[in-house]
Amino acid sequence: MSDAAIAVRPVRAAPRGGGLTGLLLVFLPVGLLAWLILYPILRAVIRTLVVQTGTGPALSLETYRFFFTDGYSLANLWLTLWVTALCAVLLLAVCLPIALYLRFAKSRIAALVQGLALFPMFVPSVILAYALIRTLGPNGAVDLVLNAAGLPKIASPYLTPAGPVIGLVWDNIPLTVLMLVAGLGNVSDNAVEAARDAGARPFALLRHIILPQIGNALLVVLSFTVLSIFSAFTLPYVLGPASPEMMGPFMQRTFTDVQDPRMAITQAVITFAICAGFGAFYVRSIARNREASR
Amino acid sequence: MATLSLSAIGKSFGGADVIPGLDLDIAEGELVCLLGPSGSGKSTLLRMAGGFEMPDRGTVRIGGADVTRMPPEKRPTAMVFQSHALWSHMSVAGNIAFGLKLRRLPRAEIRSRVEAVLELVGLAGYGARKVWQLSGGQQQRVAIARALVLEPQILLLDEPFASLDQHLRERMREELRDIQQRLGITTLFVTHGQDEALALADRIVVLKDGRIEQADAPDVLYRAPATRFVAGFIGTMNFLACDIRRGRADHPLFAVPLALPDGPAELAIRPEALRLTPDAEGPVRVRRVTDYGSHVLADLETDDGERLKAHCPPEARPAPGQRMRLSARQLSAYQQGRRAEASPAHLREGALHA
Ligand SMILES: Nc1ncnc2c1ncn2[C@@H]1O[C@H](COP(=O)(O)OP(=O)(O)OP(=O)(O)O)[C@@H](O)[C@H]1O
Ligand SMILES: [Mg+2]
Repeated sequence: MSDAAIAVRPVRAAPRGGGLTGLLLVFLPVGLLAWLILYPILRAVIRTLVVQTGTGPALSLETYRFFFTDGYSLANLWLTLWVTALCAVLLLAVCLPIALYLRFAKSRIAALVQGLALFPMFVPSVILAYALIRTLGPNGAVDLVLNAAGLPKIASPYLTPAGPVIGLVWDNIPLTVLMLVAGLGNVSDNAVEAARDAGARPFALLRHIILPQIGNALLVVLSFTVLSIFSAFTLPYVLGPASPEMMGPFMQRTFTDVQDPRMAITQAVITFAICAGFGAFYVRSIARNREASR
Repeated sequence: MATLSLSAIGKSFGGADVIPGLDLDIAEGELVCLLGPSGSGKSTLLRMAGGFEMPDRGTVRIGGADVTRMPPEKRPTAMVFQSHALWSHMSVAGNIAFGLKLRRLPRAEIRSRVEAVLELVGLAGYGARKVWQLSGGQQQRVAIARALVLEPQILLLDEPFASLDQHLRERMREELRDIQQRLGITTLFVTHGQDEALALADRIVVLKDGRIEQADAPDVLYRAPATRFVAGFIGTMNFLACDIRRGRADHPLFAVPLALPDGPAELAIRPEALRLTPDAEGPVRVRRVTDYGSHVLADLETDDGERLKAHCPPEARPAPGQRMRLSARQLSAYQQGRRAEASPAHLREGALHA
């Protein structure tokens, strides 16, 4: 009885002190987040919604109306969505086999493959872009080889949507492979062996055991690629087509060449909204998965 | 059901011979336990039988057919892993039904077989649970059910009860023995528990450094271990070093006649074969007494500093420091690591006094 009474006091006191320390600890990052990210977002949104008229500021959806009725803007948005989706699919198609190989192969070549897969991480995007132009561009290395062999020129991906797709996929391989290998690390050897023992051929193994167990890793990969590719700038800017163009270069051109900051911000807000929507979907699925598995 | 036969089978990892070359034949419906120190190659042997490890030499036959190059998904074997290896994204029933679904059985049949096997392992009604909602023992039973539902010809178990407590382990091993006998499945069972092996097995195979030291029925293995290693590995054994001279052991406690060639030897006596009688002039002194409930284990020391262990009934519990006289009901001798055949005839009947 008395023991309990004594014990209660410190327990009650603890959260108050702990709460204050906790708040102090998170104050700096939260403050920075608010100042550098949340505040600019809010300001940007307000700038797109509020116009200065003769009688003072007024609410207006005019720039949004323009964006969603303008064929060119919509084409750019579609192109961006399309490139993003294609890159995500290609990335999974390229990286999943590599990651599966790295996880399950027992040979020494695995180290070499891993090195190769991680190599793009150390190459800056700009250098990658020019390397691609020098190889796949008009009169690039591939063309020279084909020419020397007496074969016709290739249709160069340079300045077509295929250009940024190739560049972005290559650029994102390392991170995707790393995340997938980390996810595959959670699939135990014994779980795989037990499935083979039950009669699962490689394809059934992948479909029924491995993929369901790395669901979360796949979600993380998907959101990372979608978020980074959707807002990519360098590669679409250097390699991509002039028209329609991806949202990154489009915003930049609207801002500097067309000198319409309000329109450029509107484009940014729309891009941000799509990414935020995807982010929300990602957070919700992760939370739901966690709930389901524990 | 089928026989399992490993002939001249060998495996090396990175140049080291883990299993140099070994023959083992298991009859239909037989339950064989693999016993041996850690790293002796038990799991490796089991994994070669299941197809998870490709032998470097020799052949694996199941029911006479050569399956050496056959991958696990095609072998009529089922393995139960030490770590359960259940698939956490599936329910209990999903785990058990997986192999049946791959075999494209009709849905109604899958359901009835899953229910039947859940009943068999005492988990009826647990089908819809998630595997992580089960206790360790229940998970283990799901793993066994998952293997049994495929009606394998050969069942392979790698320390399946390692994570269970004593009581559950005893119950599970009785259940397993029941099921195995009812279905007549040829079974190879790896265990660290000697009592488990002694209680379960039709035959025990003792491995050491990838070689078979002895393969015999449990009672033979316990009562007549063929080598010094097996004698020391199974149960507790007192070894007394001595010399044989002109047909007699020269040990001060047991100067017994032994029809063996002259040379160094070791006398081996089980603690339960020793009898203690209090005697102030006796040759050994009690150092420590440990009560195990069913019996009392006395730690003895001779005047030369040699140590022995002896069982005594709880009612005749000696006191530490007390001097004792010793007699042995049974005694065997090992020469050059092998059991010496010639044990004195009179020892088997009467007791031998020190
Ligand atoms: N995949 C592997 N690569 C390299 N060495 C291995 C591999 N698997 C097993 N070994 C080696 O083979 C030997 C036998 O291993 P094994 O797992 O068969 O022993 P075990 O008898 O099952 O031991 P334990 O009782 O500890 O489970 C060990 O020395 C181990 O280090
Ligand atoms: Mg083992």
